[in-house]
Amino acid sequence: MNYKLDFAPVIDALPALLLGCLGTLWLALAGMALAIVIGIGGVVLRDSRIKLFRWLVIGFVELIRNTPFLVQIYFIFFALPLAGVRLDPTPTAIIALGVNGGAYAIEIIRGGVQSINKGQVEAGLALGLHKLSVFRFIVLKPALRAVFPSLASQFVLLTLTTSIASAVSAYELTSVAKRVESDSFRSFEVYGVVTLMYLVMSWIVMNILNFISSRYISTYPVK
Amino acid sequence: MGKGEFLFLLQGLKWTVVLAIVSFLCGTITGLAIALLRTSGYPAVERTTAGYIALFQGTPLLMQLFVVYYALALYGLKIDAWIAVAIGFTLHASAYLGEIWRGSIEAVPRGQVEAAKALSLNYFWRTKDVVLPQAFRISLPATIGFLVQLIKGTSLAAFVGFTELTRAGTMVSNQIFKPLLVFGIVGLMYFALCWPLSFFGSRLESKFAAATR
Amino acid sequence: MQDGKLKLDRRRLLLTGAAAIVAPAVLSAPAFAITPDEIKKRGKVIIGIQGDNPPWGYVDSSGKQQGLDSDVGLLYGKYLGVPVEFMPLEVANRIPALTSGRVDILFATMAMFPERAKAVQFSKPYAANIILLIAPKSVEVKSPADMAKLKSIGVARAAAQDTQVTKNAPAGTNILRFDGDAASIQALVSGQVEGLGGNMFYIDRLEEAKPGYWENKIEFQRIYNGACTRLGEKEMNASVNAFLDQIKANGELGKVYEKWMKRPLPPMPETVEGVSFVAS
Repeated sequence: MNYKLDFAPVIDALPALLLGCLGTLWLALAGMALAIVIGIGGVVLRDSRIKLFRWLVIGFVELIRNTPFLVQIYFIFFALPLAGVRLDPTPTAIIALGVNGGAYAIEIIRGGVQSINKGQVEAGLALGLHKLSVFRFIVLKPALRAVFPSLASQFVLLTLTTSIASAVSAYELTSVAKRVESDSFRSFEVYGVVTLMYLVMSWIVMNILNFISSRYISTYPVK
Repeated sequence: MGKGEFLFLLQGLKWTVVLAIVSFLCGTITGLAIALLRTSGYPAVERTTAGYIALFQGTPLLMQLFVVYYALALYGLKIDAWIAVAIGFTLHASAYLGEIWRGSIEAVPRGQVEAAKALSLNYFWRTKDVVLPQAFRISLPATIGFLVQLIKGTSLAAFVGFTELTRAGTMVSNQIFKPLLVFGIVGLMYFALCWPLSFFGSRLESKFAAATR
Repeated sequence: MQDGKLKLDRRRLLLTGAAAIVAPAVLSAPAFAITPDEIKKRGKVIIGIQGDNPPWGYVDSSGKQQGLDSDVGLLYGKYLGVPVEFMPLEVANRIPALTSGRVDILFATMAMFPERAKAVQFSKPYAANIILLIAPKSVEVKSPADMAKLKSIGVARAAAQDTQVTKNAPAGTNILRFDGDAASIQALVSGQVEGLGGNMFYIDRLEEAKPGYWENKIEFQRIYNGACTRLGEKEMNASVNAFLDQIKANGELGKVYEKWMKRPLPPMPETVEGVSFVAS
């Protein structure tokens, strides 16, 4: 008895799979937005004068970067309710993605911030700019411009990581794929096609980010 | 949590470590081949290898595991699920390590290669004795970083039914109904595995950075 | 001149590398069909089973496979005269593991459904189960329409409860699908879902977590479990049917059943609609 390839169930399920792609992109977008917020906040706290804040950020980053995403999302979904925080699958996924991405974003943005010449900051303060403005326009924006490529790769990675959110039944492509697979038993065909869909999605995301980079980010005057 | 449950978690930890080591070692060998193919100088070969790398870097690890797991069955190879999973991780590792080492091979100063050619060393000896040792040193922080990623990635083997640490945690949590405790311990076990490696990697990175100043 | 020699070396290296990658693909030959004699010759039978679904199949904290399916599987091994190697599988992985040749046979809480009978060959039934809805005692759920009262219902993806809940729940019910019995039960216990589709044994496990909180609400269907072999493997199917006849007749099945199910072996139907027990 031979295993005959049969792509018909996959083709029938294409609309559902494409909607799943939208779910994936939505989770990735929301997750990345949260990650950037956490990233910038973390960078600020990381260089705070208060030792406690510094150590909190260091501890947070090390903890998140050295534990698997699956364990993190299981923790948020199954364990936190027992501590009183119950979140639906989609918010769980967004927060897990945001926290995970945020830990990496902190390191990436921090690298960019540290590469800014101290002279720039001094010049800005000498010109009478408020400390906050100095941070926003002289430190943060150029830093983001410098690390945009790294952040872009992080975004693509985040998009791919959304597939793990299927473990808590969040709505994205892998969840839909698993349903199609369990209805049709055509495991290889379904996952093969879905893998290609992820490839296409990551390619599209990368190109959109490159476009944004060349049009808006790289043109920001610096130095 | 009783001793029995904790021992079950440790067993899962054992399989996590075994899977990570096997995948890393096999991935090292294949990754080296990929890196060499990628820098071989033949455009067709370089493009194909670049495509292979892009495939694994542009798709989720979970999907890669599923496809390899079910594709191997299609090929008719009757092998243990454990080995199928290891092959999946090995291919994943080979693509990422291949890319890391390509970068470090290309980072070796051209002068070194030219000097080796001038000394009439052929490709094999040039690569083995001049390029690779230097590339290896350059690549160490990134390679260690990837090893950490691989260890974390083994948690996905849970989805194909392989009882590594994360799956063991889910099963124990389902028996004693204490997810906070169980996943907390599971997280700490991963942390204990990964953090020393991360720390070592970042120390290396600052050491090398200091050398270039 | 040296360059010419170099190119040859490089080419040779590359060709050997390429051959090494392609060889496994070329040398393989699909061979899933198996017979009892081949199993006996091989020296062990690989049985697919569930790893986290007591009392059917579960792995205890010492790593040993236990459960009704485990005991029946061990009896089958004894019948064939070979040791048993258990392969614990996730719910959604059971049929793929069989059709892809990873296991020889499934004793894995496989409920008999016509759709499944198109993908695998069932044996005669050896166990009975009830698929039902579990919800808190405080919520009144008497009929499928009442399921709308529940904020969300969890199920193990691809399991019988998935099919039943999806079929019977009113449109718009929030159904969450998890990768296995364990995850769906965890979802209920942690409060992530309000209702749970499951089999009649879930309630025993739930009572351990929070006694007196949940109860069985709606009975969706009574189902029968059979062993599964691949379609077309007539000898395997005949072998397992003969085995089941034997352990039913000599009381071994009854004994194992009472041990795990805590109830006597119910009478098994002669036929189940849409499912044939004998390979044709």
